[in-house]
This record gives sequence, structure tokens and C-alpha cells, in this order.
Amino acid sequence: MSEDGIGASPARVGGLDRVTGRQAYVADINVDDVLHAKLVSLDCARARIIAIDTSAALAVPGVRLAMTAADLPQPMPRFGPQFVDRPVLAVDETHYHGEPVAAIAAETKDGADEAAALVRVEYEELPAVFTVAGALDPAAPLVQDPSIRPGDPLATTNVLREHRYGWGDVDGARADVVVEGTYAFPMVTQFAIEPHAFIAAPDGDGIAVWSSIQHPNWLQKVIAGLLHLPLAKVRVFAPDPGGGFGGKQHAKYEPLVAFMALKAGRPVRLVLTLEETFQAVRRGAAEIRVRSGFSADGSIVFREVEANYLIGAYADIADRTVAKGTYTASGPYRVPAVRILARSILSHTTPSTAFRGFGNPQQIWAVESNMDEAARALGIDPLELRLKNLARHGETFIPGDTPADGDWAATVTRAAEMIGWGGAPAPGRGRGIAVGLKSGPTTGLSYSTVRLLADGSVIVHAGTSDMGQGARTIFAQIAAEELGAPLDWVTVVMGDTAVVPYDQQTSASRSSVLMGNSILNGCREVQAKLRTMAARLESVSEASVVVDRGEVRIGERVLPIRDVLIRGLGRLGGEVIGIGEMRKEADPDHPLGGTAAFFEFNCTAVEVEVDRATGDIVVVRHVTVSDVGKAMNPMQVRGQDEGAAIMGLGHTLMEHYIYDDAGRIRNLGAIDYRIPTSMDLPLVMASDIVENEDGPGPYGSKGMSEGALLCVAPAVAAAVRDATGVVIRDLPLTPERVWRALNEASKM
Amino acid sequence: MRAFAYERPAHLDAAVALLAEHGPDARLLAGGTDLIIRLRDGTIQPRLVVDLKGIAELDGEIREDDGVLTIGARTVMTDIAAHPRIRQDYQALAEAAAVVGSVQIRNRATLAGNICNASPAADTVPALLVYGARVVAAGPAGTRRIPIDDVLVRSGVTTMARDEIVTAIELPAPTARRGSVHVRRTRRRGHDLASVTLACVVDADGLTRLAYGSLGPRPVLVFDETGVLADAGSADLAKAQHLEALFVGASPSTLSMRASPDYRLAMLHVLGLRAARTAIERLAAGAARA
Amino acid sequence: MTMIRRIGVTVNGRPRSADVAPHHTLLEVLRDDLGLTGTKECCLVGECGACTVLVDDVCVDSCLILAVEADGATVTTVEGLAAGDRLDPIQEAFLETGAAQCGFCIPGQLVAAKALLALIPHPTRAEVEDGLAGNLCRCAGYGQIIDAVLVAAEAGAEGTGS
Repeated sequence: MSEDGIGASPARVGGLDRVTGRQAYVADINVDDVLHAKLVSLDCARARIIAIDTSAALAVPGVRLAMTAADLPQPMPRFGPQFVDRPVLAVDETHYHGEPVAAIAAETKDGADEAAALVRVEYEELPAVFTVAGALDPAAPLVQDPSIRPGDPLATTNVLREHRYGWGDVDGARADVVVEGTYAFPMVTQFAIEPHAFIAAPDGDGIAVWSSIQHPNWLQKVIAGLLHLPLAKVRVFAPDPGGGFGGKQHAKYEPLVAFMALKAGRPVRLVLTLEETFQAVRRGAAEIRVRSGFSADGSIVFREVEANYLIGAYADIADRTVAKGTYTASGPYRVPAVRILARSILSHTTPSTAFRGFGNPQQIWAVESNMDEAARALGIDPLELRLKNLARHGETFIPGDTPADGDWAATVTRAAEMIGWGGAPAPGRGRGIAVGLKSGPTTGLSYSTVRLLADGSVIVHAGTSDMGQGARTIFAQIAAEELGAPLDWVTVVMGDTAVVPYDQQTSASRSSVLMGNSILNGCREVQAKLRTMAARLESVSEASVVVDRGEVRIGERVLPIRDVLIRGLGRLGGEVIGIGEMRKEADPDHPLGGTAAFFEFNCTAVEVEVDRATGDIVVVRHVTVSDVGKAMNPMQVRGQDEGAAIMGLGHTLMEHYIYDDAGRIRNLGAIDYRIPTSMDLPLVMASDIVENEDGPGPYGSKGMSEGALLCVAPAVAAAVRDATGVVIRDLPLTPERVWRALNEASKM
Repeated sequence: MRAFAYERPAHLDAAVALLAEHGPDARLLAGGTDLIIRLRDGTIQPRLVVDLKGIAELDGEIREDDGVLTIGARTVMTDIAAHPRIRQDYQALAEAAAVVGSVQIRNRATLAGNICNASPAADTVPALLVYGARVVAAGPAGTRRIPIDDVLVRSGVTTMARDEIVTAIELPAPTARRGSVHVRRTRRRGHDLASVTLACVVDADGLTRLAYGSLGPRPVLVFDETGVLADAGSADLAKAQHLEALFVGASPSTLSMRASPDYRLAMLHVLGLRAARTAIERLAAGAARA
Repeated sequence: MTMIRRIGVTVNGRPRSADVAPHHTLLEVLRDDLGLTGTKECCLVGECGACTVLVDDVCVDSCLILAVEADGATVTTVEGLAAGDRLDPIQEAFLETGAAQCGFCIPGQLVAAKALLALIPHPTRAEVEDGLAGNLCRCAGYGQIIDAVLVAAEAGAEGTGS
């Protein structure tokens, strides 16, 4: 096998370009003759558009286009991954702070900026809803006009969808102890350091689109549909995103830029400001009531969850995050009776979308905090309470779904050991522990090609987006491992729908498993051809030849693949081509449309120190342990786990949108939306993995990358409770919030 | 960013003349770490930006003359934070300069700029107040020295005329042994704007000077001449009651999203007490070394 | 009213000139006029550090410097760290520790790290945390970035010791 193969931690493939500045992100791409676009939006949450006057804007030298809804096909083209609700530009009414009503294309960025400021919009500000209570008020204005929700019985409310799951008899369950609480999770934003960027250019009789997108094939489909073009005439270039985190999964302004490019007859480029990204993507906020019943020995006897997720003005993929995120709200536990009701509630706010954890961190915050409160009410150690109720490997814990696919107790026990659970923390300190579970992809389809070239080097084509998770490296490692090539002899081609075969999407931590298996299957096809070749060359039966892990074995003899290849290809040379395919079929009877391909499971344990006078929390020690099945690249696994953990500390300790009374975001941009810096790290960060090679991916791997974020908040809040005795049910745990909670507790 | 003209005068009188000529249409550029943000977001839209960095009479030097420490107008936070004499005798200023923004910001941001922006949350200003700093300003009528306390009016407004330029900041020599400290409250440990920023000096002769910012339109200086705050032996409760009276003028904004008024006020008292304690310890440690 | 001015800047050892508008930042001129896109644009308010460059060997946010201010200066960007094909030890270290994930913040991190090591050749972990606090990483690969700076410091020590 290759020394940079599976289980090794070679330097990232693509790393050299990343450390030299050569890596070209969308905004770095120079397209000849390009026009620069600038969005025009209104400084309010909701408005009726009365008139738009672009004459002053068009008079600015170099302005080529001032596009409004009137310049687009009628009726307004709409798009969206779940519901076809989002207009290319706002028509008649704006529905959130920052929704574009017009866009300028000009020869220079300055010209576009100047012209955008000169677009005169006459509008009437309308009342807006931007809280759960406000949106559910029977007198609330409707965020979406019922006309775009045909046949929907909820169309006259702001509830987009309700999701109900459950089993057993919750009402008949007999509990010794019932613990109930309502928990709030704030609006937070992905804050990829690369702001979203888009370019569209007329391309012969079709169009080319560059986007910092996670799902290039899905974007291709959206653009083809909107422009009435065959898929083959829409070429999507998807350079590596500079961070995605879910916020770059689905089309945002690509349709607008595409229409602009076609109208202008020239390439058009739009790079969002960071402020505009805050108005483009966020995570759904949530208010979640959890009621759990326990027998005196700590066994969970029932769990009831009512979750209200505040999504934005358009659905994007947000309702799916609600459906999928709350589906697992019974936790990784054995719970005989479960009732879950989740609502996705429209509001006049930034459309929420996928964000690392996909709807789970919100409910896990609630459910795991409820577990911690239950442990106290029961007088049982929080660790013991988890261990007592965790589903065992192979045990069905959600009826009709994939059974527990890991030794989760081993993960929890490891985390407990690493934090020194059981010993008393120093005065002023406290410890907390929590677990997080996330259902992996429910469907999937990933094609790849694996080409073993005449000299033994390899080209892999894979439609995954490498947004930092390191997919390219993993794919190269698999090919190197299987085809016996040095890692630097493997090229992985991504990000061009005209060249790379179809991949459904890069999400749900799927790529190592689904695309990984696809590539492995492609390698198997190459290996099968090599087997035939070797049998012919050595005049033996195919049955006596084994090709695996970079070697050709004939009885006791071991031949390098390269030798067989060169001899087998002969004087004409050529290559050996394998086509990989991996499907995760849908299940129409399943509430999510398919069972989990795998579960991501993590246990986080922290020790905190709380300054009772100021409310400051210092995370003294942060332990994160994930069941990854098999770490194909341990260095990348560490990077993903620790990065997810710190991102989790962001929404736990400091991140949240702040709105004014009219529904405008006050803390747009990097000055007043705080994310963790290198000075905000836990004093000690310790990550570890459990590898039982029991996953469905190559070599027993499972998906990972989201797990370590899932349960950070409840672990930290539990530690704060342990240190101070105070229970806090709202995030983030800002110093002020902790101080206030301590003050209120001391008054009681 | 809106277009503007740019001048980089070589001499002070030329700069003063540009300011006199352009009035409110002109803005001074020193480090630019605040100005360029406001140019970008459009809160200011000058027609002319006058860059001070070409002016021969202005420098980034820190000099000592007759015990007075003179900090040139172009001195950046990094240099203030690292200066041995400031670290020793004006420790609160060194500490305040060290927490202004990130390394990148501190390498550009000037002390003079921090004063002239007149942000209520300016971290260095409380330190300048407790040390009795003077601002040296040049204008058409010549040069004048203004006590820092007389410079500040409210956010973005100082008593300096539009055609005056700060050429230096002067710190008088310590008149007694002292211990001093700068403390602040932020939303994270990494760089942030302060929701309370406070400097404290305790003199060997029992005088305590406290200055705080971010709790009203401008930073405020208060004194305790009773010796209670400076007394290592006096109880926290007694000190807290004393601070209550001293901080009566604090009036935090109700509009800020960074912290609510009651939290700011509570933290002012917590920080005041902690700062006094640290300053006393430093005074004692200094005495032990001496 | 835009008055274009010609500026001369030595960028990565090469004298360059550009005709710039006074309101254009050094970041814009590096990226748009000089084609040096390694330096990244994100927050534009001096909070994220993606645009970090060295101006006269001082580490600064190029989004908060007007290009005209840099007239006559020496500027080092990420593209100038390597000597031809030979990577700087800090770049090698970033590769070795897996510090670069999505990579978007990495040019700024590298330049800030280079400046830090020039100032403090053997920093403590806390000094690295402080020195790089102006460079946000949303992949939050901070642990591996800090490791990389410490590895590079170690490598530098070996280099000077021989």
C-alpha cells in the first residue's frame, strides 16, 4: 500500500496552492470583459415597492444595466431547493432586510457602487414579523402570499410545514420524574471567510456560471430550469469554496447574475460584502420545549418535543433542516414513547438554510440540557444517565431506521476519562458532558471516474466540493491506496459540470462515504481490468489473480500494479478506466424519504471556570470525541473535529443576530457579530476518535465534520450549572446573560 | 467608498491651511483604522483627505524632556505598548494600547487618532486622563497645550478647532510612586470594542484617580482623595460604597447593542474595585523593588 | 472629481507602479490592478485579517490603507513568501500540521505569522494566540495554525543554530 494511503496524514492535496496564494476562489478569477454587479436593497425588513427609478443610476458613466423585476420574465421566475418560492429579484414586496430589489452592472466596481446608491426606490414600509411569537400571532401579516403556496392547507398562516414523529404511548407512560423546559437557540450566520461570489457569462448557445457553491450539479439544474436550457448548455464551474458550512449549498444570486449576463450579453460578476452574506444566509433560530419522563432508576420512559424553528422569508432548505434535525430529537437513546412536533415558521428575516449540524444543534441544545436537568432531578450523575439510556451497537432506537451503528458508550466513556469525570473540579469550576447525534444522508448519488494512465498515475473525477473538509485529499488517498500510485501521482478533478460526472451534493458529511465508495468502486473496476490483464500476461486463470490495495497477487507472487499496467497496455499505451457509482436509494415510506446512511456521534465534555462577578466563562478544558469508524486521514479528522468544536463555542458563547424593533439586523458585519478568535480558544482542546471500522464508507469509515459541533452548547451550559448552580436556557451564554442569571438566582 | 481627493502635505502649516480652506469637507488621516471604516460605510463623506504622514514636523517618536514624556502624533499603539518607559511609569497606557484592536490595527492606529475620534469607548483615553496627559495642538494661531480632560466633548466631538492638528501628547512625570492598571470588558477575549474601559492610578500618598469610558458620551475622570480606595487594608465593601459615589456620573447608553446599561454599570463597579486592588498591589510591588 | 495618482510600490521585491484613485485601498490595488489575488477580501473593516500584508515589514490590514498611502513602500504579500519554488519555513509548517483547511484565511495567517516570528523568533503558544488574533479562521483550524507557527519557530531555531 502507499505510504500516503489510508490512515496516513499526508499534506493536504491542494495545500500547496493554499499556502502560496495560488488557490483561485471565485473572486480571484479573471473573466475578460466582465461587468461588476452591485445589489440594491432597502433598509427595512418589509416594504411594498411602489416604484423604482433607475434613470440616475443609468446615467453614471460605465453603467450597462440596471435590472429590476420589470426586466425579468413575467411572471417572476422563482426557485428553491424545497419550494419554488424565491424570486430572482423582489417583486411588489420585499420580505427581509437586504432582499435585493434591483441590481446594477457596470464597467467598474466604483461605477456599480455609485449607481446602486442612485437607484431611487419609492416604497412603503410594512409591519414585519421576526420572532416566533410575532409570526404565530393570528393577526400577524403573512410572510408568503398564499398564491405561491397553492394547495397548502397552512397557506393562510406563517407556518410553512409541521412535522410529526413518534412512537409508543407518551400519554400513558408512567414516569417517576418528569422534567420540562423551554430552550432558545439564536440566529447565527455561517460567516465563511470567503463571501459568496458569482460570475455568469454567455457561453455559445448556453451559459457558464462560476459560483462558490457546494452543490454544482443542483445549481446546474436550477439555472437550466430558469433559463429553459438543456443541462448540457449550462456549465457550472465550482472552484473550492473558501468555507461553506452549509451556507453555500443552494443557489442564491446565481440566477440573478445569469439573467443579467444574458441581458447584458457580457459576463457579470457579483461578490457579496460580508454584510450582504449575513443577509443571505443564516441558521434557523429555535424555541424548543422538551418534556421527558424517567423512572426512578434513570430510564427514559417518554420524551415529548415541541420545536418552533424560525426560518426566513423563503424556505431555501430550511424546512428540511427542521424536518431532519428534529427527527432525531429523541436522541441516541432507547426511548419507548416519543412525540415530536416541529414547525418551520416563516418570518421577515434572512432565509435560513443549511449550517453545519443541519437543524440538530438547536434540538440537541434543548434535549441534552433537559437531560442534564433530569440528572439533577433524579440525583443521578449526568454521565451515568447517558450511559444508562444510550442505544447499544445494533439496537434499533428510531423505529424503521438504521440501528445504532457504533459503540457509542465507548465514545462517551473515552470523553469522560479525558475530562477526568468523577473527580471534583477546582473551586469556581464545573464540568459538563453531552452527546450529539446526527442522521447522515438519507439519499445519495455519486458518480466518479478513475483513470489509471499509462505510467501508473491516476486521474479521478469527482463532483464533490472541497470546501476545507479535505475531500480531495481523501479521494486521492483512496486511489493511491487501491492503485498503488504515490499520492502526488494522483490528480483529482472537481468543480466543472461539463467535465466531471454527476454528484448529488456535498452535504451531510457524506462525501467520504458516498463519493468515497464511488471512487472505491471505480478503483475496483480498474482493478478488475488489471486482473484480466494480469491473467493474460501471466497465462493464469483470472480466478488465481487478486488485485487489491495497490498490488497484483498471483499465488505467492506480488507484482506492482504499474508493471502489469505497462506490460498490459503494450505499445499503444492508453489507460484503464473505471466508472464509480454509489447510490443511497430513497425510501418513499420513510418520514425523511430514506434511512440514515450512518450516524455521526460525538461526546463533548468541558470544564469551565465562571467569574461570578462578571459572568465570564473560560473553557478550561474542551474534550471532543467522535466515532468516525475509520480515520482515513487523522490530521484532517482532527482539523474538522476541533474546528467544529470551536465553531460550536461561537454560538454557545457569543454569536447572535441583533435586531432592531423594525426587524433590521443591527450587527451586520464583523465588528459587532463576534466569532471566536485565536484568543478565545479553550485553554486546552483535546480531541480523540473512536475507530471500530464499523461504518459504511471505505475501510469502515463514517461521515464526520459536523459531529463535534452538535452538543457543545449543552455541555458548556451544564458545566456552568455545575460551577454555579444556575441553569440557563437561552444562548449565547454571553457574560451579561450569565451575570444576569447569577443575579436573579441570588435574589431567590 | 465614495471618491475623494487626497493631499499629503509636507509641512504642518500647509496641512493647517488645507484644513482652513476646506473646513468640514476635509478629514485628517493618520493611521486610518477608524477613518477608512467610516469612509467605506459612508458615515463620513469628505471631499478631501489630508494625510498627516508626510508632515516633517510630526513624528512617531517617544521622547523624554525634563521628565515629560512626549509621544509624537504618528506614534502607533504597538510602539506605545512596547515602550519601556511607558510600560514602567504609565503602565495603564501601555496596557490600554496593547488591547486596541489586533496586531494589524495596533501597527497603524495612532494615539492621537484615538483621541481625535473621541469615541466614548476609546481604550487609551482613560489612561491619558488618569495620568493628566496634555494634547499639543497646532493651528493657525500657533501651538497650544490642552489638558486631555478639556479636549473631550462627546462621541466624535472635541474642543479642538477644525483647523487644529494634534502634534503630540505629553505625559507629565509621576510626582509620587504609583501603581496603575487598565482593565476592560469585552464580549470575547479576542479583540473587541470595550463595553467598559477603565484606568486606575493609586499614588503612594493615597490619591486614587480612576477614569472610565463607554459609560456615557465621553470618558470621565474621578478622584478619591480620602485614601479609602488606595488603602490595601480597607474592606471591599467600604471601597464599593466609595465607588458608588465616585461613579454617580456614569450614564451608559440605552441604545448600544454591546451591553445593557445595568450590566455596564455593574461592571464599572466590579472593574473599579479590581483595578484599585491591582494598582495597590503594583504600588506595593514597586515599593518592594525600590 | 477622482484624481488618479501614480504610485510606485515594491511588491515582493519587484518595483511596480499603478495609477490609482485616492479612495482605492491597497487591497483593491493589489488584487485588481496588480493581479495579486493571493491577498483576500472579507470583512473590509480590519476585523478578519484576510487581507493582511506587510508594508515596510509591518503587518497591516490592507483594507484599511489607501493605496496612495503606500506610495514608495515595500509590500510583501503571500505570493512573496516563497523564494521561487522554495517555500518559506512557515509555509512548510502550515502544510505539515494541516493548518490550511478551506484556505481562504491562510494567506493572511501566513503573513501575520511571518511578522510575528520576525518580532518574536521563539514565541510561546500564548504569544502566537495573541499575535494571530487579528486573523479569523472560520474553519477554526486555530490549533493547527498555532502548531504550525511553533513548528516554524523550531525550524528557524535549527536553521540559525547550524
